Amino acid sequence: MSSPETIAAPRPTRRLTIARAIAEAIGQEMERDPAVLVMGEDIGKLGGVFGTTTGLLDKFGAERVRDTPISETAFIGAAVGLAASGMRPIVELMFVDFFGVCMDAIYNLAAKQSYFSGGQVACPMVLMTSVGGGYGDAGQHSQTLYATFGHLPGLKIVIPSTAHDAKGLMLAAIRDPNPVIFMYHKALQGMGWLGTVQRSITDAPEGDYAVPLGKAAVVRKGSDITLVGLGLSVHHALDAAARLEKQGRSAEVIDLRSIAPLDRETVRASVRKTGRLLVVDDDYMSYGVGAEIIASVCEAGILLRAPPCRIAHPDIPVPFTPVMEHFVLPDADKVSAAAITMLEP
Amino acid sequence: MTDITVPTGLWNDSDEAAISAWLYADGDTVTEGAIIAEIMVEKSSFELTAPASGTLHIAVAAETPVTAGEIVGRID
Repeated sequence: MSSPETIAAPRPTRRLTIARAIAEAIGQEMERDPAVLVMGEDIGKLGGVFGTTTGLLDKFGAERVRDTPISETAFIGAAVGLAASGMRPIVELMFVDFFGVCMDAIYNLAAKQSYFSGGQVACPMVLMTSVGGGYGDAGQHSQTLYATFGHLPGLKIVIPSTAHDAKGLMLAAIRDPNPVIFMYHKALQGMGWLGTVQRSITDAPEGDYAVPLGKAAVVRKGSDITLVGLGLSVHHALDAAARLEKQGRSAEVIDLRSIAPLDRETVRASVRKTGRLLVVDDDYMSYGVGAEIIASVCEAGILLRAPPCRIAHPDIPVPFTPVMEHFVLPDADKVSAAAITMLEP
Repeated sequence: MTDITVPTGLWNDSDEAAISAWLYADGDTVTEGAIIAEIMVEKSSFELTAPASGTLHIAVAAETPVTAGEIVGRID
């Protein structure tokens, strides 16, 4: 006799942008848990400059969806206090580049709350923030700063590359007892004026599910080289892998999805198989995600068939001029060229 | 064949509107009522739903300005 699961009709598929997926996840958690609330600049009436809170004000009202003044120090500090007293605040730092004024609340208060209290006071807050350039917004609105945050103990850092993962990671982030920095890349948000990678617009279940924090995904199987990316650079890696396939080369692509915790084992397992490692990152190169991934593989004593390689933004401010910006930003051309060099006998 | 038309009366005609993203690719099968595209007007987002079920044909690419009433594609 069939169980009810085996005879259920297939769920109809749909398509969401990452922006919609984030807003849907937050709305569902607000419905489920009255302790969840949102604060930030232009997150109420406007629904977020990057669409992350669309529709929430109408549904939940101004008590739980709070537009704040331009005062990151105040509202992110307030979120740490709210989290200590049993609420589950979600705050939006409109651009990660603005972290300077509110970093004390993030790394000295939120990140250390649980540790300093011997685990008696948790900090269940989510700080969502836009990252990345590519649209001529210059050096104070185009950084990713993954490694800046990934370096600090006490924070979890997630970066989705698709709408499916964005919703599942956001649901997991809100429920996590630790502060989670949820970084969404502007080029994947589905906001026309920033360009959008079509592949990031995916199906996502309408109901509840979670993508675990700290688990990477093998998004393309391959055998000759491992390409590792996060957020937008996953798509550069996938585009490069498609080109390599036309040249008879098989690339495996790993989407980190989280850099803290970092799923070193998934990367190592892939490189044990391929023997080649290329990390693609749009953060500044030095002391960055690429270095950490390469070190994780080398420390495990995995034999490599070519020196490991990283592609990242060079150690200069992100240029404003589009020609200069695109010259330095990673893209599929740079990834496939580097991979071909590594694959040469 | 059913035309996909930009809705009228949702925003001021003088505001610049653009398709921010097609959620499906040209040639994809879509179901009537599914959200198939988003339209951005002055940083606010509006949804475009499929007027019929069938194969999507995109006539106006994403990031292109559009006006209310304009035909941006069709469903066969």
